[in-house]
Amino acid sequence: MATASTMGKINRRLRPYGLRVGTLPVWLIGILIAALWAMPFVWMISTSLKYPGDVMTADIEWLPHRVTFDNYVKIFGEYPVARWFFNSIFVAGVSTGLNILFGAMAGYALARLKFPGRDFLFFLFVASLMVPTEVTVVPLLLAIIKIGWWNTYQALICQPLTYVYSVYIFRQFFLSFPRDLEDAAKMDGASHFLIFWRIAFPLARAPMIAAIIIVFTFNWNNFLWPLLAVSDESMKTLPVGIAAFAPVIGTRTQLEGFALGMAGITILSVPTLLLFFFLQRYFIQGLSSGAVRG
Amino acid sequence: MTATIGVRARPRAEDEPVDWIGYVFVAFFTLPFLLFNIAPIFFGAYVGFTKWGIFGKPKWIGLQNFTDAFKDEFVAIAFKNTILYGLVIVPCVVVIGFSFALYVHQRWPLSALARTLFFSPYVVSATVIGLVWVWMLDTQFGLINHYLGYLGIENIPWLTSANWSLIGVSIASVWWDLGLAFVLFLAALQDVPRDLHEAAEVDGASRWQRLWLVILPQLRPVISLVVTLQMISSLRIFSQVYVMTNGGPASSSSSVIFYMYLEAIFRQHFGYASAVATLLFLMIVVITIVHRLLIRER
Repeated sequence: MATASTMGKINRRLRPYGLRVGTLPVWLIGILIAALWAMPFVWMISTSLKYPGDVMTADIEWLPHRVTFDNYVKIFGEYPVARWFFNSIFVAGVSTGLNILFGAMAGYALARLKFPGRDFLFFLFVASLMVPTEVTVVPLLLAIIKIGWWNTYQALICQPLTYVYSVYIFRQFFLSFPRDLEDAAKMDGASHFLIFWRIAFPLARAPMIAAIIIVFTFNWNNFLWPLLAVSDESMKTLPVGIAAFAPVIGTRTQLEGFALGMAGITILSVPTLLLFFFLQRYFIQGLSSGAVRG
Repeated sequence: MTATIGVRARPRAEDEPVDWIGYVFVAFFTLPFLLFNIAPIFFGAYVGFTKWGIFGKPKWIGLQNFTDAFKDEFVAIAFKNTILYGLVIVPCVVVIGFSFALYVHQRWPLSALARTLFFSPYVVSATVIGLVWVWMLDTQFGLINHYLGYLGIENIPWLTSANWSLIGVSIASVWWDLGLAFVLFLAALQDVPRDLHEAAEVDGASRWQRLWLVILPQLRPVISLVVTLQMISSLRIFSQVYVMTNGGPASSSSSVIFYMYLEAIFRQHFGYASAVATLLFLMIVVITIVHRLLIRER
């Protein structure tokens, strides 16, 4: 039995870590839950490295006893995964780039320039968040078909250009941006456009990184719109293409098991997981300072 | 956060000149925004009043789509399921997300790692969430049933039985959605003034008393924000359903947006699909207003 004095000793040892004997179990359970929370990812990667015959087994094998990259080779060989990957990078890259540039300009103007209708416009942007994108996709699809954009990159890119998040976060930043620099430039006769491009935009690093990774992630993961806007195999984006490995959509997984599908979603999740791991601070701060989802 | 939306730009003094260039600055964003976001809202409202197929001219049929929807048993099932999704997912996300935030907020060793792990599912695609959970919840070889077996629980047909499919999809959704609630709670906890904690400590309040009486009242705005955001996102549930169950078995996990998708893509009933989406939007508006009123009354 631990006497009062040994308890005291242990408590003193734990103090630098902010723990006590009483809170030690809570800490351990929390770490355990955090580890469990990541298990689906571990299981996904582990399964993707197994031979198909080693996947659907009665025993659980966390670390494959023999490792293979066949599943990755196969999905690249038998599906247009490379093409889907390119489509996703291209669409997410272009629409994120344009969204951030346009969003920064709009955010700057809404924060710094004075013109009639400015506050109404901002109200409109924020109010539009009340209407879920799901409500707009069917009519948008009809319009896209009408103008002949179905199965094109324009169709994939146009919808995510409207994410209000970037406008919001840049406006927020420019509202608290010191005016001195601009005023000095104005004295020198610089135009608003020059001030924005040369001074304000380059200095908006923090909101820019946050907006880039958050908007890119939304775009990369965008699902419903790309599912509707294109139907050609060669035009699909990665999430929509890989979804064919779901047993309810394609029959391949039903017949051959989950090894291929897990390889597919590993490829699909790596880009955004890496972005998040390395730029976590921006990601979390960016989200909590503008709780708006695409 | 919504509280900061109220921050206004400096009001325009009467004598200050108008920056006409401002319209050029906002035009680049506003034009696509009006074309691809605002216009479809109104266009969709119109389409909902028409019979709009893939061939032929759309025909104005007044309220018929809406009256049909009220009689359609699959619409009823979809709405019932969608509300069930909300009732299952929202409390789980709020309670678990808050517990995780409280845990990470203690700044014990490895809490930065825990934060990363708790948040990470939020950044991956619905396809990843759906497929990995179809595999985890596999009846015969899935991890979940394997470990439940040790507790003497028989294999549960998570996604292949009409009784369980909605729960199966909800589990995956909680895992996916939790990250946002978690970081919002965490940010709010860090904003609770330190002296409040200290004052309570001096008064000899226990950990739980401090949580209930000091911290929670401070967090009311963020809790209601998270509930609203999560409610709306749960009512919009689609992609997990599409990947995991395709609404089945026998529509038991279908949702409103999934039904809209079926009507639009497989039956090309664009008018009807728009009407169903409009009904969901109206439901979201009503729920949001009721929620606001309830908060105000307290």
